[in-house]
Amino acid sequence: MLIVVDPHSGVPVYRQLMDQIRFHVASGLLKPGDELPSTRALSAELGVNPMTISKAYSFLERDGLVERRPGKPLIVSGASVDDVQTRKLTQLEDSLAPTVTVVRQLGISDEEALSMFRQMLGAGEGSDEGKDER
Amino acid sequence: MNVLEFSNVHRAYDRGVDVLHGVSFAVGRGEVVGLLGKNGAGKTTLIRIAMGMLSTGEGSVSVFGVDPRVEPVAVKSRIGYVSEDQVLPPFLTVREIVSIHRGLFPTWDDPMAEDLLQGFSLDAGAKIGKLSKGQARQVALLCAVAHRPELLLLDEPAGGLDPAARREFLETSIRLLNEAGSTILFSSHYMTDVERMAERVVMVHEGELLIDKSLDDLREHHCVALVPRENGASAEKLRTIEGCLGVRERSDALHAVFALAPDGAIPLIQTGLGVDGVNCRSVGLEEMFIELAGGQS
Repeated sequence: MLIVVDPHSGVPVYRQLMDQIRFHVASGLLKPGDELPSTRALSAELGVNPMTISKAYSFLERDGLVERRPGKPLIVSGASVDDVQTRKLTQLEDSLAPTVTVVRQLGISDEEALSMFRQMLGAGEGSDEGKDER
Repeated sequence: MNVLEFSNVHRAYDRGVDVLHGVSFAVGRGEVVGLLGKNGAGKTTLIRIAMGMLSTGEGSVSVFGVDPRVEPVAVKSRIGYVSEDQVLPPFLTVREIVSIHRGLFPTWDDPMAEDLLQGFSLDAGAKIGKLSKGQARQVALLCAVAHRPELLLLDEPAGGLDPAARREFLETSIRLLNEAGSTILFSSHYMTDVERMAERVVMVHEGELLIDKSLDDLREHHCVALVPRENGASAEKLRTIEGCLGVRERSDALHAVFALAPDGAIPLIQTGLGVDGVNCRSVGLEEMFIELAGGQS
């Protein structure tokens, strides 16, 4: 599984794991029914304490993102189309939260911030079109 | 039940220098605790007391519920110990050292010992005296873990090891955790290793316990505030603010550690000092360590 851990970060390792698994589910890299590596295997692979892995897994289970089945590997929960869309939006919300903090700290007005966001979205679209034309 | 328990441990060396002034903390079964502190803070002394190599002055230590000075053999057979200054006999071969340890511990795990020999790429026929510092440390680690100890005491085990050997060492400890559910207390100056391995961090400073918290708690509910030295902001004032654990005085700013998340600390500091422009952020363990160790008055 594509997971990297940055122990130096101010973000607890279990949160880094949760965020990345959430992201993979939202992006569709992990699909409903996919198995997650065992606590032991992931702990050995990443070189982190197994308790950290099980903490992340327990929280993901509580959030309904993964399911535990007795004696079997953890799997990604089945989800409706609505769930998938909600997860994508939640993911975006998490990514934008720090930006909102910066906007407030620098005293940038909501209008200025929104206009920049629109502009950046527009710029992304433009470059995609450029590629298609080539 | 606690595997290891220090209760109000004092220790003074003969020359009358106090090393520990009343340290108390316990380590539960299966827990991994990182022991932090500057050089001379008392980490090695604590670990040696747990091994029964040193006695406590005032206070007591119990390992598996007994005093390691009273039942040294019973206790030591269940402990694995590696220290930075451990010396193995230079005239013996790796194979001979391993075989001696094998004879001492009834729980010795041959396949594990073989795996580790290979994992570390150690030549079993080589004499200890001919090994590099790192290789000798790996032999010591192998001997410490291959009897699947219930408690692993590691005193700066990775000191002098290259990054690859350190990772190998870390993975071995994690393997022991996974397979045997061992309890681990380890001191280290490598904060990345502590962040990977430990669930909890105990920090000693000048012989006293400064911090005993889970790593997640330290990262989620602690922050470092950077306060400009203007408008009457002073270390003294900062220290009186609720949640302040220490203030480090720098030339241009004051760095204060708070036992609060950044959102919670900012308003308290702004009110307490009557200033704006306070910048608080969550930090990794290394910065937290430097701020805490340097911020004690």
